[in-house]
Amino acid sequence: MTIVIILKSIIIGALVGFGVGAGAARMFHAPTVQAMGAFRTLGELNACQGDPISHFSFGLGFLFNSWATVIGAGALTQDVEHRIIPNWATALLLTKNRNVKETLHDPKKMAVAGAIVGVILIPLLNSTAAAVPQSLQNVATKVLVPAANWLINPVMPIIFWLAALDAGKRTGIWGTILGGLAHLIMGNAVPGIVLGILIGKGVDDSGWNKITKTLVTTVILLFVLSGFFRGFDVALLKSMNIGIPQWLINLHKFFGMVVK
Amino acid sequence: MEDIKIEDKKLGFWYSEWGFIVFVMALASGIFGGTHLYYTYHVGAFNDLAVVALLEAGLKGGGFGAAAAFGGAFLFARVIEGPLVGILDIGGSLQTGVGIGIPALMLGAGFTAPLESFPLALLTGAILGAIIGAVIISIRKFTVDKIDSTFGADIMMGAGNAAGRYLGPLIVISAVMASIPVGLGAIIGAAVFYAYKKPIAGGAILGAMLMGVFFPIQ
Repeated sequence: MTIVIILKSIIIGALVGFGVGAGAARMFHAPTVQAMGAFRTLGELNACQGDPISHFSFGLGFLFNSWATVIGAGALTQDVEHRIIPNWATALLLTKNRNVKETLHDPKKMAVAGAIVGVILIPLLNSTAAAVPQSLQNVATKVLVPAANWLINPVMPIIFWLAALDAGKRTGIWGTILGGLAHLIMGNAVPGIVLGILIGKGVDDSGWNKITKTLVTTVILLFVLSGFFRGFDVALLKSMNIGIPQWLINLHKFFGMVVK
Repeated sequence: MEDIKIEDKKLGFWYSEWGFIVFVMALASGIFGGTHLYYTYHVGAFNDLAVVALLEAGLKGGGFGAAAAFGGAFLFARVIEGPLVGILDIGGSLQTGVGIGIPALMLGAGFTAPLESFPLALLTGAILGAIIGAVIISIRKFTVDKIDSTFGADIMMGAGNAAGRYLGPLIVISAVMASIPVGLGAIIGAAVFYAYKKPIAGGAILGAMLMGVFFPIQ
């Protein structure tokens, strides 16, 4: 099993490292060139620019955290792609040439260096995690799962909600309504609040134009559809002690859901 | 490795718009492959614990709705934001959207094949990446320079980063509630990591696990 994991991880590492490396280098040419990565990655790469030791140790600092989480719960953390691969790829290139313009800013060199880092890093993390005894994983699961559940509900909804309220009246109102509805329909308020911020800020910055109107329409459609497919309409009628009309039962049946 | 073509020497490709689509395809394919590893061997998902836990809740029979909605909404938001600011956030769009949201959507619909087969997983990821890349490039063509809003991206990033900080203390609290030795291990681990300026979540987990070896939780 470990051999299979290593082989698959090599392929995955190459693909991921290639994409991350090229995307990171392109960030230095954004917005004229469309890049991918993250603003925090760009800031951090700039912070230790030019010094291979700094880049390497910055990545190493996050490696231990990723290692601990992958051993405990099988999750590599976003840091692997946001921090470890970009910084180690940069460190690798800088050991040969200290000129960042010819190394860190070059998508081709960064793509290759990223793929090399990925091919080594991902199999290492995944295979060592798979080799950890079951009893140890049990401890991690017993500790981590409750903590992660609390984070998802209610910590994250609260943080996003407060951020929406602090960002202005419009995001506050949209965030509250869509967040509350999302918690009812989807089981978690975060996606609703994110969409509320998106709409509120979009309208704040550019008014009611074609883009923001399309956005609102899409969001309403998303809520209606996910409400229907999760059977929220039926649950709502039931909890209000209203009989469910036959046509609604038939409509759900048509999409493969049996209404009790 | 065979997917990488580096013989293309033209400078143009690496800075081009269709080059962007290729990079998104490679990354999305790898991330979806990582989710396949998690689905089959419980290892290698490219995301933070809190987000992977959403998928795990679905796999354990708790319903995929939360994971699908969370990942889907993030994907949607990031794909709109990406072309407007010039940087596509891979955390929200690919790691959470393609890696967690779309698999949850598929599993919720009983569509397990793309996650059970490794080649199919890579292919599915590549197709999703191609669609996302193409959508971003076309949004960029139509809207760039016409609108100057980041749609509150800074607010969401701030909230997202703040949420991550809560995990460390939450793990310590959870460990303390699990058992006394495990709790002590988590406290010491968190303190040591903090002293060395590392994220305390990692120290808390390692400390809890170390004590769990000697004093298993019933």
